Amino acid sequence: MKNEIAITAFKCKKCGRIHYPFHDRCLECKNREFEKIKPQGNAKLLTYTSIYNLPWGFDQRFLIIGVAEFENKIKAMGQIKADSIDELKLGMEVRPSWESVRVQAGEDVFGLKFEPIG
Amino acid sequence: MRDVAIIGVGMIPFGRRDEDSLLDMLAYASLNALDDAGMGDKTVDAVYVGNMGAGIIQHQTSIASSLVDRLSLLPAAADVVENGPASGGSAVKNGLLAVASGYYDYVLVAGGEKMREITGWRATDFVATMTHPEVEYPYGITLPGMAGMFTQLYMEKYGVTREHLLAVAMKNQEMGALNPYAHVEMLLDREGIFDSPHAVVNNPVAATPLHLYDLCPVSDGAAAVILCPLDMAKKLQNKPPVLIAGFGQATDTHTLQERDDPTDLKAVTLAAQQAFDMAKLKPKDIDVAELHDAFTILEIAESEHIGFFKKGEGGKAAAAGKTRLGGQLPINVSGGLKSRGHPVGATGVAQIVDITFQLRHELPKDRQVKNAKHGFTINFGGFGNNVVSFVLKRTEP
Amino acid sequence: MAVDVELEAVLRPIQYPMPPYPPKVITLANGKKMVVRQAKREDVPAILKTVHPCLFIERDYYDVVSARLYGELLAYYRYRVKSAYCLVGQVDGYLVGIVNGRMETEKVGISYHTLAIDRGLRIGSHLFAAKMEYHIEYLGQEEVLIVAESPIGFRRWMIEYPLEKTKISHELGGVESYRLTRDLYFAAKPRLVVGDRPVPKDLLDQAKKEILHADEKAIRERIAGLKGR
Repeated sequence: MKNEIAITAFKCKKCGRIHYPFHDRCLECKNREFEKIKPQGNAKLLTYTSIYNLPWGFDQRFLIIGVAEFENKIKAMGQIKADSIDELKLGMEVRPSWESVRVQAGEDVFGLKFEPIG
Repeated sequence: MRDVAIIGVGMIPFGRRDEDSLLDMLAYASLNALDDAGMGDKTVDAVYVGNMGAGIIQHQTSIASSLVDRLSLLPAAADVVENGPASGGSAVKNGLLAVASGYYDYVLVAGGEKMREITGWRATDFVATMTHPEVEYPYGITLPGMAGMFTQLYMEKYGVTREHLLAVAMKNQEMGALNPYAHVEMLLDREGIFDSPHAVVNNPVAATPLHLYDLCPVSDGAAAVILCPLDMAKKLQNKPPVLIAGFGQATDTHTLQERDDPTDLKAVTLAAQQAFDMAKLKPKDIDVAELHDAFTILEIAESEHIGFFKKGEGGKAAAAGKTRLGGQLPINVSGGLKSRGHPVGATGVAQIVDITFQLRHELPKDRQVKNAKHGFTINFGGFGNNVVSFVLKRTEP
Repeated sequence: MAVDVELEAVLRPIQYPMPPYPPKVITLANGKKMVVRQAKREDVPAILKTVHPCLFIERDYYDVVSARLYGELLAYYRYRVKSAYCLVGQVDGYLVGIVNGRMETEKVGISYHTLAIDRGLRIGSHLFAAKMEYHIEYLGQEEVLIVAESPIGFRRWMIEYPLEKTKISHELGGVESYRLTRDLYFAAKPRLVVGDRPVPKDLLDQAKKEILHADEKAIRERIAGLKGR
């Protein structure tokens, strides 16, 4: 079963600025009322890096992480499902999924993953 | 507000100090600063300690209380200031405001960090605790990773190249090799880390597009300064006081993703601008600068955001030798974080110590910027979400 | 000490024929040239002079690794290990790193230790890579069994290659071995195995002439001192 992307972003009811993560007051206009929105569609890869020397808790050789922007403008960090950064380029389309991104104290921690699609 | 001067500075050699506890290091650096200020057995009114990780790494809290006790500075007021890798700069700022306000006359500011007693994995995780706990940290992002994503975009937008980054690394390791306080003592060889096919092992990728030698080392170390009102400093029979002519501090969004332009280090620009305005100086008036080169890209990006070079020119300036000793604006003559090391809580204080050495004209010829009058520092917290800056000025005896 | 030839014939383990490791030269991050070559049995006493001071350095398990290496090299010198070998790294003649291992069977190699005397130059990485190169490419083995005794070793070998975990007990303490297969080796080779051959004559002659050892203080400072690279 495909997991729902369990991200909630917050759109300012006054000026429309989209926040992710949550802020108590709008970064633009200080308004305190937000509409909860869910990411929609695929995303565009804004930046990425392949990290070696990972922190405690990761025992793979490297991890590719990036920031992508969904079709409804929510921007979020996620792990990139690619064997090498050679498969990636700035601005490419990626497909989001909600999967285990690490294991902490024996439990899966779920988060965003992005798979390059073109 | 009173003018505030630095009347004493102290540092201990940075590196891997297995024999010393965090408190030992803070105490040694503080004693060096007290002695440099000619304080003898006098006390201070307040102590500010810059530290990021004692609670996590040493499982120890309230270290400012421990330090005043060890140094017999009781009953001086004592506080720890934690602002990630800008803890040192923030501690100096707090000391400065306390003296400027007229409330305290003599203040000791010490910064220190002991990071080498844990493995590299743990140290990387410790530093990553400054990332957003919900939308960044769980993914395994590290600070080199944040810098990698930033570099990717900065290269794309401003044409920074690996050659430019290499120029910064080589310059700072060359200068660090001359600095007895620096952690790193090795000169880099261009062939060994770049041109030769063997460089793939010698200088491997750390976080694309950054490589091993684009990163500062993990270090232990401490540094300290003594502050007092300028008019009182002038009466002391001691080394020429250095005026803190300006400071600035600014913040930016916690996550990179929420910045409209992630290549724009707004907090750097603002903190620098505030410091220049307060000092009534401009970037072109600065003779020597210590920038926060935790990653080589940061020295370049900061030099542009501060206004030393136009956007897109910082990398070229570094490659052309303009930021070397004897160049247009010597940057990180100490070796910077890249070579002096980056014991996170110590760095902001160490930058002030190094600029004070420069403005007192007391360094050996191969490290002294001739006739340096105005110095500048920038201490970069988080990934640019909390930045502290200072302008220091030589006072003529 | 006189050698009892008849007894020795009983005590000495068998030796597989082992083609030599061809020397190579690597340019390090500081521009120095490191010659990597196979040590001869008669080189062991000279090598031990450099290993000895490391016995007393606790940092990063240097004491454990060097004590074991000392024993292994001595046993190799006195013919008490089956099909053992030792590779050394030398800069300006000085010994800067040592790796050793042996053949368990014609197909399976055992990795023993990696000791970097000069640190911060990836000498351990280069020499470990040379050791794997020897097992796979020159001894023609199918796999090498490896364990790490320090966190640094674990990171360098198990994660960087990466190696695969096995249930096979390793002779160094019985911990479960990790394994480098031919496939893993050739996949990792482009990013981990470097070096130029042949070694220019003057460099090779210098290395072969004498294995120089740094003084004890310098070794200690380099391994466990304040400064870094």
